[in-house]
Amino acid sequence: MLLFRSEAHVDRWLAGREPGATIAITKLAELAAAWWHDRLSPDWQPRSREQSQAILDRIGLTGPFWSLG
Amino acid sequence: MERADIDLRNATYQRFVELGRAPTAAEVGATIGVGEDGVRAGWRRLHDAHALVLDDAGDIRMANPFAARPTDFRVEAGRRTWYANCAWDAFGIGAALHADSRFETHCPDCQDRIEISVHDGRPDDASPVFHVLVPAARWWSDIGFT
Repeated sequence: MLLFRSEAHVDRWLAGREPGATIAITKLAELAAAWWHDRLSPDWQPRSREQSQAILDRIGLTGPFWSLG
Repeated sequence: MERADIDLRNATYQRFVELGRAPTAAEVGATIGVGEDGVRAGWRRLHDAHALVLDDAGDIRMANPFAARPTDFRVEAGRRTWYANCAWDAFGIGAALHADSRFETHCPDCQDRIEISVHDGRPDDASPVFHVLVPAARWWSDIGFT
């Protein structure tokens, strides 16, 4: 889960390996806010897989790669 | 999850924020009036429930988004610093604190330093991209390498 200068840098770093998924940093920021915003709340409750999947879906991260299983 | 384990988890996170590093079992125990053995047993249950990550010695390795060990994601918020486990978590620390933040890391390809300031949840530089190698279904089993 790394940050690269650009997609060209990702491609060079992969050096032919199977890529994972690349998303814009703005999308990552959106995902992080949705995923972590309650982490320090005294009302924190563990999240189910379905609830976590719903966050990914809401951000538009869908498809087999983003399926939590 | 039992209420006592949620309280232990919350105290662990709170101490992590306050200390700028992972708390010891004794430090958390002193906060909630539980002995070190009780803290460690609770931490193990929380680890098994994926609520935090322990290392082989039973100490805190990750209380995501916070990392116990130094990483290439150093995050500053409110004149305090922490390490994050990855780029996602680097944004996550500011999100969890509900604070503007700043972090630095390096492009794994060219090693150039990347500095990001986050204001109202938005990065000041939209040009970097985020890459995750491991599919979501394997995130927990590969939590040290995603």
